[in-house]
Amino acid sequence: MRLFWELAKLSFRRQMAYRAAALAGLATNFFFGMLRAMLLIALYGGRNEAAGITLQAAITFTGLSQALIGPLSMFNWFDLMRTVYSGDVGSDLLKPMNYFTFWLAQDFGRALASFLWRAVTIMLAYMLVFDLTFPRTPVQWLFVFLSMILGWLVSFSWRFLVNLSAFWTPNAIGVGRFFFIISWFLSGFLMPLRFYPQWLIQLAHLTPFAHTVNTIVEIYLGVLTEQEMLLAMVNQAIWAIGLVTVSHIVMRAGVRRLVIQGG
Amino acid sequence: MDYSMRTYLKLIAIHIRAQLQYRASFMLDFFAMLLIGLAEFGSIALALERFDQVGGWVLGEVAFLYGLVYFSFGCMDMIFSGFDPRYFGESVRRGEFDKLLLRPIDITLQVLSSQFVLRRLGRMAQGIFILSIAFNAIEIHWTLGKLLFLPVVVLSQIFFFGGLFVAGATFSFWTIESIEAVNIFTYGGSEMISYPMHIYQQGLRRFFTYILPAIFMNYYPALYFLEKPDPFGFPAYAPFLSPLVGVGIFLIAMIFWNFGLRYYQSTGT
Repeated sequence: MRLFWELAKLSFRRQMAYRAAALAGLATNFFFGMLRAMLLIALYGGRNEAAGITLQAAITFTGLSQALIGPLSMFNWFDLMRTVYSGDVGSDLLKPMNYFTFWLAQDFGRALASFLWRAVTIMLAYMLVFDLTFPRTPVQWLFVFLSMILGWLVSFSWRFLVNLSAFWTPNAIGVGRFFFIISWFLSGFLMPLRFYPQWLIQLAHLTPFAHTVNTIVEIYLGVLTEQEMLLAMVNQAIWAIGLVTVSHIVMRAGVRRLVIQGG
Repeated sequence: MDYSMRTYLKLIAIHIRAQLQYRASFMLDFFAMLLIGLAEFGSIALALERFDQVGGWVLGEVAFLYGLVYFSFGCMDMIFSGFDPRYFGESVRRGEFDKLLLRPIDITLQVLSSQFVLRRLGRMAQGIFILSIAFNAIEIHWTLGKLLFLPVVVLSQIFFFGGLFVAGATFSFWTIESIEAVNIFTYGGSEMISYPMHIYQQGLRRFFTYILPAIFMNYYPALYFLEKPDPFGFPAYAPFLSPLVGVGIFLIAMIFWNFGLRYYQSTGT
């Protein structure tokens, strides 16, 4: 456990060291968010509500989805597969720590730094431009943070699994790209899932992706009743447990197969 | 000119052959590119299904805007891969650019032929697919003028975004870290002109009309192709400014690039 926090702290510091470099990325996220907000305003075209989402909530969604890019590594995360190809994986596997936990700790530090520095900044900038929706009760705030932690765990586990494909194929980056793109669509990152037809919403919930961005956003925007919020988080927890378990099984199979090249 | 053209084609042919060596990897990347367009446009199309219109434009009309830029940007991204600020900045930082400077071939030609990302064909294919949705959904009254003008618009957009890539690459002579900000103009710009420009807030639209005149690259030509009224009351020739703006931006970027080269040589690294 101490090792976990030490690793997380190191990774947190490393991430924070690149604050200046991240500033440009922040500006880009903010600009795209603005474009999305104006697009949604035009789509609503004078309506005040659609699919249970008010215009104000839809605008807030554009900020939230951009804010979550960093903490959930929405665009890519190929760190693990790079170590497989470079050979560093060899020494990582020798470390006196579970290989999954080793990466989990580092991703936790990275996500936390990204949350404090990128996500919060984007939302603050958004508040200057738009009139945003906020959770109404302390309980809802608590649920937002809980669902963010669960959503991050689901997100990390599927990213970890996709990265493990490097143990089998030299084209893991191509495989990874596929899953990241599908995740934009099915996680409710590009558009709130509620805008999609019913069958697609159901399909999305059969994948881990809907239990990341979309659940966090729906809890934040208050479109769910308290009971629905709890149910959504139970679903997140089930997915998290399932994926962590599968990760361990696949990891064991992968390590047995692994041939370290070069070094 | 003839010699440099032959050199260029030879180098590009090598890149293509090299990328086709890894067929599985190429196919994966190609389909990933296809999928990006499908996901991004799909989410918009589904939203339009629910909302019927955006700024008074229906799905087919938005698909026309979207597909056209998607195709041109993909084409540009393939040809100008060498100037892609992301990779070019990296090659300056790692000193690979310095190696190019030592060779007795025109440096611009070398950078242009230093990369040729074939998987962008996926993006072009996706652009054509989205355009075909547009042609199916709406009736465009084709005239000879429109048929001739369409490839001109595509070429203009390639020059326009190519210019932005070249300008972005030039910035990496001075700064490596803030290169990502160029994305606002390249990727942000292409995203922006994929939708009818009148949906944007005035300040933003003015910037992209008078400072970086992206509005003439796609929106105004689309008004001409789709025979829609101009909400901003520009003169009737506004749709035909796209080649002028596209080539103009490209030339300015080339001047900036040459200026940057001189600066870079004088400091050495």
